[in-house]
Amino acid sequence: MARLGWYQRVAEPSSVYSGRPMASIPQTRLRDFSIIAHVDHGKSTLADRFLELTHAIDARQMTSQVLDSMDLEREKGITIKARAVRLAYVAADGLTYGLNLIDTPGHVDFSYEVSRSLQACEGAVLVIDAAQGIEAQTLANVHLALAQGLVIVPVINKIDLPSAQPDLVLEELENVLAIPRDEVILVSAKEGTNVEQVLEAVVQRVPAPGGDPAAPLQGLIFDSHYDVYKGVVAYVRIASGRLHEHESIRVMASGAEVEILELGVFRPQPSPVGELGPGEVGYVATGLKSVRDCQVGDTLTSAARPAASPLPGYEPAKPLVFAGIYPLRGEDYGELREALDKLHLNDASISFQAESSVALGFGFRCGFLGLLHMEIIQERLEREFALDLIASAPSVAYRVTLANGRGEIDVDNPSRLPEPNDREVIAEPWVRASIITPSQYIGTLIELATNSRGTFEGMEYLDVQRVLLTFQVPLAEMIVDFYDQLKSRSQGYASLDYEAIGYRPGELVKLDVLVAGEPVDALSLIVHRDRAAAAGRSLVEKLKQLIPRQMFEVPIQAAVGSHVIARETIRAMRKNVLAKCYGGDITRKRKLLEKQREGKQRMKRVGSVEIPQEAFLAVLRSGEAS
Amino acid sequence: MDHLPAALMPPPVALYIHVPFCISICPYCDFVVYAGREARGERSRLTAFLAALHVELDLRADLLAAQNAGQPRPPLRSVYLGGGTPSLLSAPQVTDLLDHVARRYGLAADAEVTIEVNPGPADRGDLRGYRAAGVGRVSIGVQSLQASELRTLGRRHSAADVAATVDLARAAAFDSVSIDLLYDIPGQTLETWSATLHMALGLAVDHVSAYALALDDPAAEGLTGILGDHRPVRAGARAWRDRVRPGQDEDRAAEMYELASDRLEGAGLAGYELSNWARAGHEGRHNLVYWQREPYAGLGPGAHAFDGAGRRTWTAASLADYLGVLTPAHRVAASLPVGGGELIDDSTAVAEAAILGLRLRQGIPVELARHPGVSAGLAWGMSHGLLERVVTRVRLTPRGRLLADEVFARLLPAGATASRREAAA
Ligand SMILES: Nc1nc2c(ncn2[C@@H]2O[C@H](COP(=O)(O)OP(=O)(O)O)[C@@H](O)[C@H]2O)c(=O)[nH]1
Ligand code: SF4
Ligand SMILES: [Mg+2]
Repeated sequence: MARLGWYQRVAEPSSVYSGRPMASIPQTRLRDFSIIAHVDHGKSTLADRFLELTHAIDARQMTSQVLDSMDLEREKGITIKARAVRLAYVAADGLTYGLNLIDTPGHVDFSYEVSRSLQACEGAVLVIDAAQGIEAQTLANVHLALAQGLVIVPVINKIDLPSAQPDLVLEELENVLAIPRDEVILVSAKEGTNVEQVLEAVVQRVPAPGGDPAAPLQGLIFDSHYDVYKGVVAYVRIASGRLHEHESIRVMASGAEVEILELGVFRPQPSPVGELGPGEVGYVATGLKSVRDCQVGDTLTSAARPAASPLPGYEPAKPLVFAGIYPLRGEDYGELREALDKLHLNDASISFQAESSVALGFGFRCGFLGLLHMEIIQERLEREFALDLIASAPSVAYRVTLANGRGEIDVDNPSRLPEPNDREVIAEPWVRASIITPSQYIGTLIELATNSRGTFEGMEYLDVQRVLLTFQVPLAEMIVDFYDQLKSRSQGYASLDYEAIGYRPGELVKLDVLVAGEPVDALSLIVHRDRAAAAGRSLVEKLKQLIPRQMFEVPIQAAVGSHVIARETIRAMRKNVLAKCYGGDITRKRKLLEKQREGKQRMKRVGSVEIPQEAFLAVLRSGEAS
Repeated sequence: MDHLPAALMPPPVALYIHVPFCISICPYCDFVVYAGREARGERSRLTAFLAALHVELDLRADLLAAQNAGQPRPPLRSVYLGGGTPSLLSAPQVTDLLDHVARRYGLAADAEVTIEVNPGPADRGDLRGYRAAGVGRVSIGVQSLQASELRTLGRRHSAADVAATVDLARAAAFDSVSIDLLYDIPGQTLETWSATLHMALGLAVDHVSAYALALDDPAAEGLTGILGDHRPVRAGARAWRDRVRPGQDEDRAAEMYELASDRLEGAGLAGYELSNWARAGHEGRHNLVYWQREPYAGLGPGAHAFDGAGRRTWTAASLADYLGVLTPAHRVAASLPVGGGELIDDSTAVAEAAILGLRLRQGIPVELARHPGVSAGLAWGMSHGLLERVVTRVRLTPRGRLLADEVFARLLPAGATASRREAAA
């Protein structure tokens, strides 16, 4: 498991890391804040400097991006899961402040987690790369922060870079976000320049958290993970009242009651504390075995003196992208289920439901926040649980109006789409795509959006060279290769963010692939009518290469309803006989036959056609690559 | 199958002797072969090999006698000198060998004694001498009668060499003359194959074997280990196989097979086995022993033996090891070379009987076809038109002959491989 031995770290003496005990810090000297940034603008690096400055960690022990503890995060250089750290900062006024830093992910797939983290804060440090300027997710994150009423501390980072243009960025901030120049702090997180000023600004500009310490306990669960020894560990921010170690608590919505096993804060190592008061952020080891008893967004209160009402919670994350995930070896199905259960404990935004497919056997239809999320989950399943998996082509959820007033259903698996007679309208999710790009790429990016069935919404100059383009685009087009194309058409300069804007009816059809007249469920697609022919042709051609010849001629067709739009034929097998004699070596001959027999046993049957699983995998994989 | 104690095992009815030398190695060849200096000239290992072979013959005959507790054994019905190129042996060497075989194993008066010869003048051997030594059947490695195909295959002989060799064989008064042909050669067309068949029929031979060129990799099949019966394919030959493999074609090969079958049958050679055609009375009796699962013995590196019931064994491919243990330095007793083997369980034995029997035109008796181990697979073959029932027998249809492995693979018992390899003394 990538989550490193938590229990071991707890056992280390926490005084080694913490500057000094913080129980004595009054509420007026607490500051809860996040760092928000477009990916790679330096959020994690800045957080590292904060840890150093506050002696939460020795420079000697400093590995870079300390908060990115999952292997995958380090490898991909992104922050997947938000982290909360408590820092003791001695400010210029000589007083010690308790800073609760909540790190947030910086990829568009995870904006849901960003907004959740922001709800536990009063302020946000906004980091902008001095060489890149405002990017799409800078805007998206600022809008999230403003919507929560947070104080923003603007920071231009990487001023050490030769290509840094802080003046231009200052102008952008003024023009686009109405941020006055004199509020902006110019830093180099890498070299540590002016980082202390950022903490000073946090102390001075971000208000202390409110909340009555004498009132009944209310703690917002803003994140959680599952630990084999401690059960569900909830990350909470106290809104009112006080939470004590060994206290019996109640989770308000679920009604679960437990005596807590451990109360603590991250420094960044988990360190037990005696109590948490309003504005403080920490963790509660509950011992609960099911995250359903302790869901993110729920409110913790005291069992003895419960609060009258819970805090406003969160909407659960809505998966946008769906795919069937199947074990390569059928016998791994049970393990896959367990692995998904475990991952779900740490990442409530994945959904999964058992399904089966003729081609792939038994597996799960899983929902993800986006493609990167899907990729990360698949990788974690393979890496942490040693599973070999195959995923069907990602799909969005379609909203289908059934015929005869039978209402609407959501269809996240193309093979489940009701027959044309049973449906009236297929609506698909649309998103608003915000793209920030140097102006020379406007033409090609408009073309990209148009090719993706998008409609142009607006264009706004951020400065003389850069523009903000907005389009409305079907999500289904986004999840194919929109991002990759955006990057390649703009030589990497354009950035993207998108938000869901609801469902719209579309000219959508179901494309079926039939082998010898039998539909192959795993290969069904829902596509726009105009795309059906090309998609069908390519699938049929690939299958023709991959399906071995059978005893009889096998037609392969792509069809929309009863209308065949592409067809290939695999001719009947002519010859399969080992003529050679091998001088009495019957053993070799028989071994070769045994190998053929084993191959046949591994075949999947579609009607009377035997298809090696590898053929399906190759088709699905080539889909990923395109 | 009954598992008889070794002492009561039926003695071999046929003997295969492997002569592992050729003047050069053909790039498609999978047999245990040593070439170049080892095969020819002063430092050739031929003499050393023959010395070892005679020792092996004695040791195996001793073993057999011990197992049979001195009971009289029926004499061999067939001896087959294969290779490699056994026609690199001189007539006296063949004479000595056959005399030794007759002494130790017994040789029936009407036994079939075959020698493989190459058609080239350098390695076709002394046909007259072999005939005098008691060889009655000659099998000529023709492969093709088209110069360009012979070049592709790395063969040194010509169509004229083939004609000359057949003439010599006739002049030496062999009972039976056979040729081997290859099809599905890269660059081969239906026209060139047709021409080859026409010329072959013009030679008026008694027996034709036609094999599809197989470009395999014994290492990938796990046959080249210390106890393996194959040598690793050399890098050059492997590259050659990879290069020419795309020139093979399943459909064309099927048509070539059908063409061969039509032509040969039309000329009075009956297809008595999947790859073999013969005039009446000239069927190769040695190979029939394999197809009918009768016991046979083998001598030489890479040679196989079968006890007729549940045990197949082979000698490892290494010539050095072979010579080392059979003709050790003085004062050390000779011992049999190492090798591998497998025990055939009852269900695999039934499958083997059906598979091997179906290779023959006459097919298998319905009693065997009804055996529960194979009946489902055979029913599948029937329903796909690959098998037919003729009175009391089941046999392959013409289409089934081209798709025989589709049937055969379905006859083997499901689950893990029924047999296992073991070291054999
Ligand atoms: N030159 C320079 N590079 C920086 C600075 N801050 C961060 N980086 C680099 O920018 C890249 C992204 O930083 P990271 O902190 O992971 O960004 P995040 O994705 O926002 O968390 C890393 O290679 C950092 O080393 C800086 O002040 N100067
Ligand atoms: S002549 Fe025959 S045995 Fe010798 S190398 Fe060629 S194919 Fe192999
Ligand atoms: Mg980061």
